[in-house]
Amino acid sequence: MSGRETVKIIVDAEKEASKMLNDAQAKALEIRKQVDVVVAVEREERLSKARKEAESVVQRAETESKAEAARLKDEAMERTKRSLQKAASSHPTAVKALLEIIMG
Amino acid sequence: MTQLSETSKFTEDILAASKEKARQIVEQAEQEHKRLLEEANSTIGREENEILRNAQTAAEGIRRREISEVRHQAKLLEQSEKDKILSSVLDEVKAKLRESTRDQSKYFGHLTKLTEDAIRQLGMDNVIIHLTSEDLKRIDTALFTREVGKHTSPIKLDIAKEPIEASGGVVVASKDGRIRIVNTFEQRFEALEPRMLIEAGRILFSEK
Repeated sequence: MSGRETVKIIVDAEKEASKMLNDAQAKALEIRKQVDVVVAVEREERLSKARKEAESVVQRAETESKAEAARLKDEAMERTKRSLQKAASSHPTAVKALLEIIMG
Repeated sequence: MTQLSETSKFTEDILAASKEKARQIVEQAEQEHKRLLEEANSTIGREENEILRNAQTAAEGIRRREISEVRHQAKLLEQSEKDKILSSVLDEVKAKLRESTRDQSKYFGHLTKLTEDAIRQLGMDNVIIHLTSEDLKRIDTALFTREVGKHTSPIKLDIAKEPIEASGGVVVASKDGRIRIVNTFEQRFEALEPRMLIEAGRILFSEK
């Protein structure tokens, strides 16, 4: 084999080696680019889901709070009613007691 | 070794080194990819938690506002109703006080007691008693001064001819009129109102 043929074989091998490295660099670049896309998609999906869940938490709280408030209001009304009924029945006693205070 | 095999070995080494280097480049990129995904995953997780935490805080705020509002309204309503009952009791007491002057025998006793108390407070031995126009008309002043005199130290009592403006009760004054003990129903009502409100509240609204 001539020296010229030997040099050609070596040059070809170096070209192939260089191409291998270039291909690897391109693949690495592609992998890095993918990260941003994958993260953006993942982020959007998960945050969108979280926002929906948050909305649902707030809506549920509104509904439950209204129900709780209505229940408390009914209880308070009932308590007030009982208290006022008792007060009404004690009305004459109170009048008598106050008259005694005034009359000394 | 022939020249061919030496060249072949040399090129194989070059290619093997490149292949290894290429593998490392891709592996490094993949590891970086993995690391970035893990970091992003952690960041997204924190953002998700924050969104949900904010929602929980908002939900708790909504619940507190609703409950607080309804409790406040209920308290206002209850207080308003209690005030009405208290006012009605006080109004009835005023009415009963006015009515009490019609029952001569009972009222005479009260008036005597109010007068005696006022005389004791005044602490003088010469006093003038002021009565309402109604009382001046219907009360036997001689009997009245005698009754009052029974329970007070020996003092000189005079009944003023000028009536006082009141629904009942008495004003006892020193002879010169400079010191007066006002024991009319209206004055007693005003002075005793705080005590009466407490007593009425206790009777009407205590839990027992």
